[in-house]
Amino acid sequence: MTDDLTTKTTTSATSSGVKVAMQLQDVAVSFNGRTAVRDATFNVAANRVTSMIGPSGSGKTTLLRALNRLHDLTPGAKVTGKILLEGVDIYGPNITVTELRTRVGMVFQRPNPFPTMTIYENAVSGLRFNGVKKKSLLDEAAEESLRAAALWESVESRLNVAASNLSGGEQQRLCIARALALKPEVLLMDEPTSALDPIATLRIEELMSTLKQQVTIIIVTHNMQQASRISDDCAFLLMGEDRAGELIEFNTTEKIFNSPIDSRTLDYTLGRFG
Amino acid sequence: MTDLFNPVVANDALRAEIQAISHRGRRARLLRSRIIIALCVIALLIAVIPLAALSWEIIAKGLPVLKASFFTQLPLSPNLALPNQTGGVSNAIIGSLALVFYSSLMSVPVGVLTGIYTAENENRTASAIRLMAQTMAGAPSILMGLFAFALICQQLGFGYSALAGSFALAVLMIPVIVVATEIAVRNVPQSLREAGLALGARPHTVSLKIVLPTALSGIVTGCILAISRAVGEAAPVLFTIGGATLLNWKPADPVSALPISIYIDAKSQWPSLRAMVFGIALVLLFVVFIASFTARFLVGRQQRKS
Repeated sequence: MTDDLTTKTTTSATSSGVKVAMQLQDVAVSFNGRTAVRDATFNVAANRVTSMIGPSGSGKTTLLRALNRLHDLTPGAKVTGKILLEGVDIYGPNITVTELRTRVGMVFQRPNPFPTMTIYENAVSGLRFNGVKKKSLLDEAAEESLRAAALWESVESRLNVAASNLSGGEQQRLCIARALALKPEVLLMDEPTSALDPIATLRIEELMSTLKQQVTIIIVTHNMQQASRISDDCAFLLMGEDRAGELIEFNTTEKIFNSPIDSRTLDYTLGRFG
Repeated sequence: MTDLFNPVVANDALRAEIQAISHRGRRARLLRSRIIIALCVIALLIAVIPLAALSWEIIAKGLPVLKASFFTQLPLSPNLALPNQTGGVSNAIIGSLALVFYSSLMSVPVGVLTGIYTAENENRTASAIRLMAQTMAGAPSILMGLFAFALICQQLGFGYSALAGSFALAVLMIPVIVVATEIAVRNVPQSLREAGLALGARPHTVSLKIVLPTALSGIVTGCILAISRAVGEAAPVLFTIGGATLLNWKPADPVSALPISIYIDAKSQWPSLRAMVFGIALVLLFVVFIASFTARFLVGRQQRKS
């Protein structure tokens, strides 16, 4: 903790040959001048699962929400640094926020299907919001995305019932299907299993390992076992002395959990605090 | 039993002390509790008896008046030869329907859109509108009548008309609808808005396709309550609609309304006309009951959903 090397150990986990989906360069988010998270510099490798771990207040969710510009509507929120999606600055002039959000999907902490819509309508809601009207396209997308979310078999016969009739785990998979229908390049998941029981959690985790073949996944999780089970790369964040979260270490999950460079990472993964 | 869960066993002296405290004054506590319950029951009876008596009076005296002619005929004047010739109140029924229809046409769009605006915006304009709506909701309804009389009847030259009456009622309904809409829209969880935005929806798409449908039953409930209030109001229509004894319904025509018929008939010297009042009151009571029952049903359904 004496120099920059230890506080920002951002080894290139993505060795040559792996495609980079998103790049974070010195990203910081502040609300009304108060920094919530800073020093986030790492590359998100395509078709891998990148997890963000750290105790409460370390800025994981805040950082995640910067990646699809969900802070835009929060008055006083400011994102600095650079976030590149396939090399393009997502806060730059060459990309609109609605287009960005169709390319970077999001699944939230609690399942939040639209309560007034049916299962089918939920699955295609993103497409409809973006102006897709053709029935055949919507039908196709609904089936494809529900299959991808491992939900098709159980809802095929009741596509027109209200989404609120599904169980919590099914609702969350519907939310994943809803995001997948837009064919995003990146899927952000904000503690997607924290409101689910262990079996539903397991199913989502299994789903993620198959999904990463088609979409890059960035997941925030409180659960270290989950991070070690499902993620390929891992970012460890911690709240600094001024109560702002900062990136401590980024590496492959294997290295973060087995041979971290920073002693604080070791303390956290061993459960000594947090 | 507690030993099972709590390995620290309280010693006997402590336990005896706790028991002594709980026994002390046990009788007095029970007595106090019974007195409070009795007071609650008495208060309930005081509140319910007049209401039940009123309903009973209206139903008992109203039902005999409700014949087919009550709904289909125009009012007639009893005379010495035919003291029971009262006709019906079809003019007032049609008039009330027309008034409710026109006033809803004016107030629902304005009220709902205003409510959405105040719910979704946190600025000076929104808080000024909110304050105004809350103040207006408490304003005496006769002021709306005076306002409509001065503006529509006189200033704009429409005279006594359904338009003037429904304008007065609309002014009365708008604040109710604004407040109800604002509450319904605010109750839509923020997570649904975020879900929409995260799917690339524009903010106005989120408002129209997600927030509005989710808040709809709350909004409809507010509109029904506003309508049920408007249908029973006499003051705003008293000097704006003219009280026609014809089957009028067009906006520019003078019309009648059920509360106005009550007002007129109750002052009559003819007992047969005074008896009519209970029939009209029963119809009004029924309409308001159905409206608030529907509103409650919708609210219940909305709460079960979320």
